[in-house]
Amino acid sequence: MSTATHCPYCALQCAQSLTPSAPGGRGVQVEGRDFPTNRGGLCQKGWTSGAVLTAADRLTAPLMRSDDGELHPVTWEVALDHVAARLAEIRAESGADAVAVFGGGGLTNEKAYQLGKFARVALGTANIDYNGRFCMSSAAAAANRSLGLDRGLPFPLTDLAGADAVLLLGSNLSETMPPAVAHLADVRERGGLIVVDPRRSATAELTVDRAGLHLQPVPGTDLAVLLTLLHVVIAEGLADTAYVQERTTGWEAVTRSVAAWWPERGEQVTGVAAGTLRRVARRLAAASPSRGGRGAYVLTGRGVEQSSQGTDTVTAAINLALALGLVGREGSGYGAVTGQGNGQGGREHGQKSDQLPGYRMIDDPAARAQVAAVWGVDPVSLPGKGKPAVQLLASLGTPGGPRALLVHGSNLVVSAPDATAVEERLRSLDLLVVCDVVPSETVLLADVVLPVTQWAEEEGTMTSLEGRVIRRRKAVDPPEEVRSELWIWSELAQRLGASGVWSTEPATVFDELALASAGGRADYGGVSHARLDTGEAVYWPCPAPVDGTIHPGTPRPFLDTFPTVDGLARFVPVRHRGPAEALHPATQVHLVTGRVLQHYQSGAQTRRVAELVAAQPEPFVEIHPLLARRLGVEDGMPVRLTSARGDVVARARLTQDIRPDTVFMPFHWSGAGSVNRVTNDATDPVSGMPEFKVCAVELAPAVQGRSVA
Amino acid sequence: MTRLVVVGHGMVGSRFVEDLLDRDVAQRYRITVLGAEDCEPYNRVLLSEVLAGSHSLGSIFLPTPDDPRLLVHQGMTARAIDRQDRVVVADDGSRHRYDQLVLATGASARIPGLPGLGPEGGDLPRGVHALRTVDDARALLAATLNSPRAVVLGAGVLGLEAAAALVGRGIDVTVVHPAPALMERQLDGTASTVVTRAMDDLGMHHRVGVGAAAVLTRDGAVIGVRLTDGSVIEAGLLLLSTGTVANTSLAAAAALPVDRGIVVGHDLACVTDPRIFAIGDCAQPPSGATGLVAQGWDQARQLATALTAAALRLPPPRRDSAEPMTDVVRLKARGLDVVTMGVCGSARDKDPTHRTLRLSDPDAGRHVEVVVAGGVLVGATCIGAGQVAADLVSAYTRRIPVPDDPAYVLLPALAAGAALHGSDPLNLPPEATVCRCNGVSRGVIDDAVAAGATSVDAVAAATRATTGCGSCRDDVCALLASRATDEVREPLVTAGKHTIHDHETAGS
Repeated sequence: MSTATHCPYCALQCAQSLTPSAPGGRGVQVEGRDFPTNRGGLCQKGWTSGAVLTAADRLTAPLMRSDDGELHPVTWEVALDHVAARLAEIRAESGADAVAVFGGGGLTNEKAYQLGKFARVALGTANIDYNGRFCMSSAAAAANRSLGLDRGLPFPLTDLAGADAVLLLGSNLSETMPPAVAHLADVRERGGLIVVDPRRSATAELTVDRAGLHLQPVPGTDLAVLLTLLHVVIAEGLADTAYVQERTTGWEAVTRSVAAWWPERGEQVTGVAAGTLRRVARRLAAASPSRGGRGAYVLTGRGVEQSSQGTDTVTAAINLALALGLVGREGSGYGAVTGQGNGQGGREHGQKSDQLPGYRMIDDPAARAQVAAVWGVDPVSLPGKGKPAVQLLASLGTPGGPRALLVHGSNLVVSAPDATAVEERLRSLDLLVVCDVVPSETVLLADVVLPVTQWAEEEGTMTSLEGRVIRRRKAVDPPEEVRSELWIWSELAQRLGASGVWSTEPATVFDELALASAGGRADYGGVSHARLDTGEAVYWPCPAPVDGTIHPGTPRPFLDTFPTVDGLARFVPVRHRGPAEALHPATQVHLVTGRVLQHYQSGAQTRRVAELVAAQPEPFVEIHPLLARRLGVEDGMPVRLTSARGDVVARARLTQDIRPDTVFMPFHWSGAGSVNRVTNDATDPVSGMPEFKVCAVELAPAVQGRSVA
Repeated sequence: MTRLVVVGHGMVGSRFVEDLLDRDVAQRYRITVLGAEDCEPYNRVLLSEVLAGSHSLGSIFLPTPDDPRLLVHQGMTARAIDRQDRVVVADDGSRHRYDQLVLATGASARIPGLPGLGPEGGDLPRGVHALRTVDDARALLAATLNSPRAVVLGAGVLGLEAAAALVGRGIDVTVVHPAPALMERQLDGTASTVVTRAMDDLGMHHRVGVGAAAVLTRDGAVIGVRLTDGSVIEAGLLLLSTGTVANTSLAAAAALPVDRGIVVGHDLACVTDPRIFAIGDCAQPPSGATGLVAQGWDQARQLATALTAAALRLPPPRRDSAEPMTDVVRLKARGLDVVTMGVCGSARDKDPTHRTLRLSDPDAGRHVEVVVAGGVLVGATCIGAGQVAADLVSAYTRRIPVPDDPAYVLLPALAAGAALHGSDPLNLPPEATVCRCNGVSRGVIDDAVAAGATSVDAVAAATRATTGCGSCRDDVCALLASRATDEVREPLVTAGKHTIHDHETAGS
């Protein structure tokens, strides 16, 4: 008997069928399942995902650190009593905000919702944020500011097939969500795929043999590329003036803001030839409906968003899409390609420091009143805005900062910028509680470890990159002493004397989420597990039935109007400032980071799958032969990258696919090969997103212990 | 509160105001701007594009921040600076007190002293124009309507851009340039020759190494130009692009030191009055003025950063050697792709530390020269080089270290443009990856085919290849097809069966 569910990894959420490998066993056989997004396909991570269920070092009992400094198994009763007692003590001594919560974009909607509620109601703390701050926050801030709504892709992925051009900025789909590339096949045939990436990534390679284009800008200058493209569109009269007139405001100011970005200047700043920039702008314009094209899309990914000017870069992408009349038109649009499995739903239900369920702002009195009513508490009792992730992590264990931290679905020691500093902060806490499925690097620092269920062992929902709510289903039983977070929060809430209902049933929690989100921007009011189980494709917003009329969901928001006060989209002028860290005589090379196909995020799961480790066993540094030659680096030699924050060592891989002024390193490994020991924790002033994607480093051969005998 | 007056609302003045408002987080500044032109600030660099018709006049206006700290007076000319009372007096008699004064008065077109142009400072004959202001652009556009022939005097950047723009409008253009090379500050003789070939292709006439002797007029209108070799070119339109003169009279009248521009130190302050600063084309910094907007914008940013840091009593910002180089010259003219930077041009000194490599391919309209010294690119000249020029600009402006041998800088870059991938899967070695998504090598697919897979689906079932993004489907089909062909060929059938047999043995 097989179970229809979705892959545990990225936001594409490929459909899978899981069959228990033995009756009553914990392993599963994984098959691809036909679904619009993956069409039965899976990548190597998906095919091998079952291996994480039976990982040899799977956490199977609660652990507590005892006087000998080691983690030892204890009963749930002992672990939960201890955690609750310590949380209560710390709160009594230092106030509710002394307890902080860190969530994750891989948690189901039900868990994301319940975690936000647990923080605000059971702990009463303002200090909750999550790793989506490292992921989607710039795209979210920009889309909310310009379009009034942040739904990653405001259209089904399958729509891409009809377009004449797709501009893909800072996204390496071929490695990060391979089955999504199939949706680009038609636009590639038409020569309309345009990829912007400092590396000739596997995705950029898709443009090589056909007539597409690959732009290889200097790291940190994507915003200048976009400003130049808009300059050309305006100067050459390619804008959709009727659309601009009817559906937007702010055109005049944006026109002026790009007057100083003529292509020859753009070339100097970005390193992309002026002629190429003109060609891209004209190609996009020709694909636009107002000029008789089949349609065009502008898509952004982490490459351009994980920047100290990430919000403005996404804004510039939206400005370009609005100028061409793409947004809110079937067959065209702007979208952000969400990264984490539930990166979309995870940012809607209250894990963010400034938000309540339904994508409501926590400082909006009406939102507080409605959510408080659902939760059965006084709105006054709800805390206000907390600190966003980077600030929150930097404050841990400092005077006046949080003394305790609960971590759910995140391996911060590997995934946060300036990771060494983050590790120091975690070590300085009085209490670190981590819920996880395997002993991640963060788990190893914890005072209390609580083993939890993973994808094939639980029920729930995820919201995919296209805003479709999908069902995660249980195929096998978890190990005996493993529990769902829903149960853990319910137990802790009772021990802490919290008011309200703390259901442990995912379907019931979802119904409560639907109620709490009703009327918000991300309205799930008309969605339920039962409705999703009919197989219906439901995209949010999907309000509750009115007078018995069931809302069909919204595959394509913005077709009629934008959810802003006046129904118009906003052009927002932005300026290019450049990366927070410029090159310097001592640090003369740009470092960019990213993923490889075989690994996911901090690698906590994929580094435990033998087939993936065999294919991609260790970190590496991509270096252009020109740079390597100058520094005396040979292929395969260990090299050291040093920034103002720390250093990392990995083997050199020489390749022509990277700019000679830039090196690339994937971020899936811990310890000496953890690139986030080097990355910059400078943040975007609007979104709080850290600047993972560009910093300045010194590159040198790593001299092996040259000891004098 | 600091009262700051800015004189000049051009590209550099307006940028400085933007930068200062951005950085003035303490909201200490109150800024008054006096702009002589009665319009919003605009992008002067694009006037040649307006002339070419590739930009409308309306699309070149620059941002003017709407900010309570800022008051802009358009169409108001500064008449005098009273340094005693710290007041700028405007032409309407209004007085503007300052604690700090920034002069961004720019430069004007230089009008050569030629017979026929009339007395200095007087009106030019009809049909004679410069291209420096929006009004100039409007007048020139009107003049193109009834002048089928034009002479452009001076083949610097602006002259060549304007000439190309006029050619694009169907006008018969002759470029007259007295120096032995076009853009002689940027190009040497060889490079200049490559550019003149490109001009030939555009149908643009050129007289290089010959100057203008007199402007011929009739009834107050230009009818032609007589050159120093005695020849005469008939033309109803004469565009003067013979350089610029810094606008320094306001500063000079206030007894501020003035040379070719207003003399300022590294901090951009006038050397005798620390309250007064000069930036952009009117300034003469210790390193010299380039006349390029990049330098002015860099000065605007530096000054805004320094003033706001001082206001917050922060240490002055470090001027480290990673500051971008601002002397890149880039021609914006259809059909003329010219980029130069650093060490270039006809008059450069011989420097024994420089290593220079030049690849000249005049028949293809391509000429690239790089100069390397001390592990960095110190100069380059690129004609018809496209992306190679863009890459050299990034290496130059950011001082990216390069190998000492310039051949390594240039040869791989030029070769990469021509390199093609061997994309035929049949040429792949067995260990090469065909399906990236699932890490399936050619050898594994061959094995699956040898074991009896005859369709893509069968290969997918056996190896997972094609089940990810599907991009390798064509390659798998090709491998299947080649195997099918092999089986027809008699000798290979046996080989294939042996393979199967060996494989089964190995696997059992």
